[in-house]
Amino acid sequence: MLPYTFKKLSILIKRTFHKSRILQIALITFLWFIAQEISLLSRMPIPGGVIGLVLVLALLYFNLLSIRSLALGAEWFLAEMLLFFIPAVPAVLNHQEFFGWTGLKILAIIIVGTMIVIIGTAIIVDFSFYQLEKQSKPEKKQ
Amino acid sequence: MNFELFLHYRPWLMAAEVTLIWSFVTIGLYLLSKRFHRRYKKWWTTPIIITPILLIVITLLSHTNYNVYIRGTHWLMALLGPATVAFAIPIYRRRNIIVLYWKTLSIGVVFGSILSIASAWFLASAVGIDETLRLSLLPRSISTPFAMVISGEIGGVPELTALFVILTGIFGASFGQLALYWLPLKSKLSMGASFGLAAHVAGSSKAYELDNEVGTIAALVMVLTGIFNVLIAPLLEAILS
Repeated sequence: MLPYTFKKLSILIKRTFHKSRILQIALITFLWFIAQEISLLSRMPIPGGVIGLVLVLALLYFNLLSIRSLALGAEWFLAEMLLFFIPAVPAVLNHQEFFGWTGLKILAIIIVGTMIVIIGTAIIVDFSFYQLEKQSKPEKKQ
Repeated sequence: MNFELFLHYRPWLMAAEVTLIWSFVTIGLYLLSKRFHRRYKKWWTTPIIITPILLIVITLLSHTNYNVYIRGTHWLMALLGPATVAFAIPIYRRRNIIVLYWKTLSIGVVFGSILSIASAWFLASAVGIDETLRLSLLPRSISTPFAMVISGEIGGVPELTALFVILTGIFGASFGQLALYWLPLKSKLSMGASFGLAAHVAGSSKAYELDNEVGTIAALVMVLTGIFNVLIAPLLEAILS
């Protein structure tokens, strides 16, 4: 009787998890919290978020966690990501020196630099993609 | 409730007030500008451009110090951590992309990182920016938590780097869409890689809006770039000093 109840209960918990977005958000936050602690304790220069990402990939890979108990929560985090950036922007108010020449110069560097990186990366990846694709095509046919 | 006790806890109450008010204002403005963006689809109506501008105006008008504002909304920024974790799901779903194209992806990460650091260095030298600012600018195209670690390591100011990282993300996400529209690119791989490399999380989020696959590649490249940059930071420090 008891193992049967236990099994039933675990199925019930799983089902609620698969449906509930809030529970999944809480689970992802909890996993991040653990990763953050690992990052602090091991004194690695790798941020907690990235350790958490690798941790979740490992959990998914070894079937310890099903993708359905995270998917809804992850969807929410990715969709509302911009909100988490916004509070950092008014920090310019703390730096009066940016309201002037230095600020314009920095803005120009960021704009021009980002354009160079976007265009450069896109071209090199596109180029190498077709080079590697050409090499691997005959292999596929064999 | 005893009134004396109430007064005694006033500082505590004020902290709660600050958090409530500024979180409410930030989230409210974000939701409003999101709705606005849905109605008027222009690149400059995106919430990441409109919301901070409105916030700056409000904080200036109400004579609020940024330190007070960030105390109330710090928890929102902390959510960037779990948001990074959330990228595991799309990456896991499309893991076959990594297996297929790991060569091209690694070329993109190495070349793009070098391009990013070198362009910041030469541009900053060209317009005459002082040393600390220049060092703070170097790691700007990797995601915030990584960039702050690296900035401290090579002698920049992590707080400033965080700001530059975010400006880069905002600009990269908006410009990336335009650039990739004009460039004669044939592969989704190249679009995703340049979004993820140049504009980290903001770019990946934008890429998701455009196409699921491009977004996955962007997220993957972002993470790989972050790790690669942390690994080469000691080398960079040795070159710079």
